[in-house]
Amino acid sequence: MNAESSSAGLEAAFLQNREKLIRFLRARGAGEAAEDLVQEVWLKIAAARPGPVASPLAYLFRTADLLMIDRFRSTRQADARDRDWSEVHADDPPGVSAEPSPERRLSAAQEAQTVLALLDGLGSRVTRVFRRHRIDGVAQKAVAAELGVSLSTVEGDLRVAYRALEEWKERAK
Amino acid sequence: MASDGTIRQQARDWAVRTGDPAFVDWEAFTLWLEADPAHALAYDEVMTTVSDAADLLAAHPASGEVGSGTAAANDDADDVPMSALSRTGPVRRAWLGGAVAACLALVGALWMFQAERRDLYTLRTGAGETRSISLEAGTSVDIAGGTIITFDRRDRRFARLEEGQALFTVRHDAARPFEVMVGDERLVDVGTVFDVQRGEADALSVAVAEGAVQFDPEGANLRVSPGEMLHREGRGETLTLSKLPAAQVGEWREGRLTFDAAPLAVVADRLSRATGIDYAAAPGSGSASVSGSILIGPLRADPAAIGPLLGLSVRAEGRRWVIGSD
Repeated sequence: MNAESSSAGLEAAFLQNREKLIRFLRARGAGEAAEDLVQEVWLKIAAARPGPVASPLAYLFRTADLLMIDRFRSTRQADARDRDWSEVHADDPPGVSAEPSPERRLSAAQEAQTVLALLDGLGSRVTRVFRRHRIDGVAQKAVAAELGVSLSTVEGDLRVAYRALEEWKERAK
Repeated sequence: MASDGTIRQQARDWAVRTGDPAFVDWEAFTLWLEADPAHALAYDEVMTTVSDAADLLAAHPASGEVGSGTAAANDDADDVPMSALSRTGPVRRAWLGGAVAACLALVGALWMFQAERRDLYTLRTGAGETRSISLEAGTSVDIAGGTIITFDRRDRRFARLEEGQALFTVRHDAARPFEVMVGDERLVDVGTVFDVQRGEADALSVAVAEGAVQFDPEGANLRVSPGEMLHREGRGETLTLSKLPAAQVGEWREGRLTFDAAPLAVVADRLSRATGIDYAAAPGSGSASVSGSILIGPLRADPAAIGPLLGLSVRAEGRRWVIGSD
């Protein structure tokens, strides 16, 4: 009954640290919605049915953090959609839409090339670190071991990559 | 007060640290966030930018780089919640441009016209009974127990779920989209196997196994894709889109029910419909919820077996089985 006991452990951690999570959500910009969002954090965890979790408290915080990033992202994306909705979708028959047009897919592929070229310009290790950590989901320590460098080198590479990506985003605005 | 540049640099440092599954210093991070409301915004900007870039690269792997992910990538999977890329979360209502609204008004008129010519009939299944009907070649509906559903003799591409649950397997025809009304909400298939539930207070769930469904094309206009479930607790409540294994869609046909943090009242209602046994939630169990997946077959022989299966207390009250949160 491993799974059960781990979810019981998470639930206990959630109940014990509810106030801390609310405080975190508030600091993350949730404002008045913090109380509602803390419920959503729990629902997400219940739906994900995680296996044994090494550090329940960190897991709770991480879920809350990802929830806030999701909210920020979907607001951003919805704003962008609203801006070009009428031009892009005016000709769609009702009930059939939301699939990116071939032009859009092409421009996304080109954008991906730009990002890749940008990271490669920082050195092939930076690209590799970014890929392994952010796309493949490998922990930083494991990436460091894989590449035979120190953890702080991996952190430094990521900072460099993030900075370059911020500039890329600035230009795209 | 820190300058903009410093805040961005700090936000970036935190983003690098919190992005690692090994990060535990969330309280220090909270303190940094609390120091200035601009901190959360800067952090969100970095995280969003990085996720956008990672999404782009993941969706368009450059040639020769495709195999960069290996089995080792999943080492930490247990400790990492669903990524920020997943679409779980409140879904924002889409705003429609004037041109689109005008076009939809025309469709609305057409819809009213068709509605006048409908020749409706209603099917009901008893609790514990399921039924499968074929509407036309390639299109069938599996109806769960305790369900009321309306069809149109003149238009086999229409159904209205009044109560309960049904699984639709629909042959796609772009010229004649299959349409399901759930209360006032309209779903249009995009070629599909999907499951629809209607509960108390206009609660609804739409889960898609194959193809896609367009929810409320005139309003929210949300696309539900395979492995996704759109859910609403009741009329006027927020719509949420969450993930579920596609194999779970329509599993009730095999006698399986899965609950995800479901309130006891919902559990009792679905159990009753599926088995024909009278289950009820214990009074005062309002906020208690249950998660788990069960086969209902054994319950027909022993209704009290639900207790150990879902970790609930069960007691008999006459012919009724009252379930409580232990």
